[in-house]
Amino acid sequence: MNDLINDLYQEIILDHGREPRNFGECEPHNKSADGHNPLCGDNLKLTFLLNDQNIIEDIKFTGEGCAISLASASLMTEKLKGKKIEVAEEIFKDFTNLVSGSDEDLKVLNEEDSLYALKGVGGFPMRVKCATMAWHAFNQALKD
Amino acid sequence: MDDSKTLNLNVRKDFPILSKKILEKKDLIYFDTAASAQKPNTVIDETNDFYKNHYSNVSRGVHTLSVESTFRYEDARKKVQKFLNARSENEIIFTKSATEGINLVAQTFYEKFMQKGDEVILSLIEHHSNLIPWFFLRDKYGVVLKFANIQPSGEIDIDHFNSLFTNKTKIVSLTHLSNVFGTELNEKAISICKDKNVPILLDGCQSAAHLKIDVQKLGCDFFVFSGHKTYGPAGIGVLYGTENLLSEMPPYQGGGGMIGDVSLEGASYAELPAKYEAGTPPLVEAHGLGIAIDYMNKIGLDNIIEHENEITKYAFNKLNEIDFIEIHGGDNKRNSIISFNIKNVHSHEVSSFLDVEGIAIRAGHHCCQPLMKHLGVNSTARLSFGVYNSLEEVDKFVIALHKCKEFFNK
Repeated sequence: MNDLINDLYQEIILDHGREPRNFGECEPHNKSADGHNPLCGDNLKLTFLLNDQNIIEDIKFTGEGCAISLASASLMTEKLKGKKIEVAEEIFKDFTNLVSGSDEDLKVLNEEDSLYALKGVGGFPMRVKCATMAWHAFNQALKD
Repeated sequence: MDDSKTLNLNVRKDFPILSKKILEKKDLIYFDTAASAQKPNTVIDETNDFYKNHYSNVSRGVHTLSVESTFRYEDARKKVQKFLNARSENEIIFTKSATEGINLVAQTFYEKFMQKGDEVILSLIEHHSNLIPWFFLRDKYGVVLKFANIQPSGEIDIDHFNSLFTNKTKIVSLTHLSNVFGTELNEKAISICKDKNVPILLDGCQSAAHLKIDVQKLGCDFFVFSGHKTYGPAGIGVLYGTENLLSEMPPYQGGGGMIGDVSLEGASYAELPAKYEAGTPPLVEAHGLGIAIDYMNKIGLDNIIEHENEITKYAFNKLNEIDFIEIHGGDNKRNSIISFNIKNVHSHEVSSFLDVEGIAIRAGHHCCQPLMKHLGVNSTARLSFGVYNSLEEVDKFVIALHKCKEFFNK
């Protein structure tokens, strides 16, 4: 099988794509945003609960999309749960660099991270939006 | 592959891009002509030649290059007129795209013939480019939009369509060939409009290079198509309109080239077709479109249609045999387009997987989100064919599909 395809669809991606974790709506929640990829119609709704110490207590998503967008959202919720907002923002920056094909100068992510599995998206520029949809929704929710 | 089916127009060599290797080793199989067709050498060479040897602005100067440019631009109009069998060159307006053509009609037709509360009939299978220009009329002026349902076959439900007309219906705008299903518009839809004396616009983006177009025989009042889907350059579109309507409707944009006489108090406007062509037009692209039409004529539109019908039928039958494939639309005839899904695999995955096999298909909503909602899918994968495709390519595609299914359901 082609290396690019194996890099893109690592086992963990296929697994999270088929069975997304933290799928549903957070109750209660105090932050939410919709993610949408106008090019293909994929969409998601992200909800999370931010406590008074600025820690993400719980985070979930619903939506429909391809394996990359679902796996990315699923892995994101796993990664962000329990994190302080400042750390989450650093992860967001690292992640967008990672999937755009540059894994130099990463501050908080490393090869041990499950999110690293999405690095293969860099070989498919048209799929970067699939991988970042959930993250942009997260970023949007922080701004609202 | 069945030996009796070896139809090949032998034109692959005319398209330089088809010798490109994808990821440095895979032969390119281009199944995305419905998004944009590849360009033959003649179009590429002739547009180059225009810039190198003949280029200036059109209809402005009196010098040699201006004459050569104007000749090429107007010659392209003649070619389009013949291609569509329009009555006169005055009925051929060059635009930057088919989309611009629909916007032009929506805006100027409204201005002349409509008011708040008047109605436009569209359908569920329309491309966004034949929805949003009319949404503008709804949002800005209170025009009412009605949408004809579709049948499971992918065709417009003619009875429902017929029931939508009232004495406030002012115009109908429908796709001539669905970019999702590949199904052709039922001619009855046009005759109903004729009976009710309501003008009809046909979106011919998918039909222009894949069906024989005769606007007089069709009886449509407007017809739009784009250059880039008919083997010509992007940046050029065509609006056909009957001289009666185009004469009555006001200009679309104001600027150079569309005026009769200008003083500071006002202006008179140019005659057709210049009236609708404000500003320097995409003249080289228009020439390129003319060359693309020459190219199609040289192969023969009948041959092209026969070739594509054979491939489409062959691919449909192959896909239909596969239990994990769901084809959208019924068993009716398709023209050069097939939409499908692999069960439980998102179309993005299918497209990325095929990409590394050298096969280009489209995945997504195809600019038809209302239709996707109606079908109950988020996106589909779409195969679409052109003059350069072959049955062998379909065989390779089918093998790749099986590999794809195996990979994602392992």
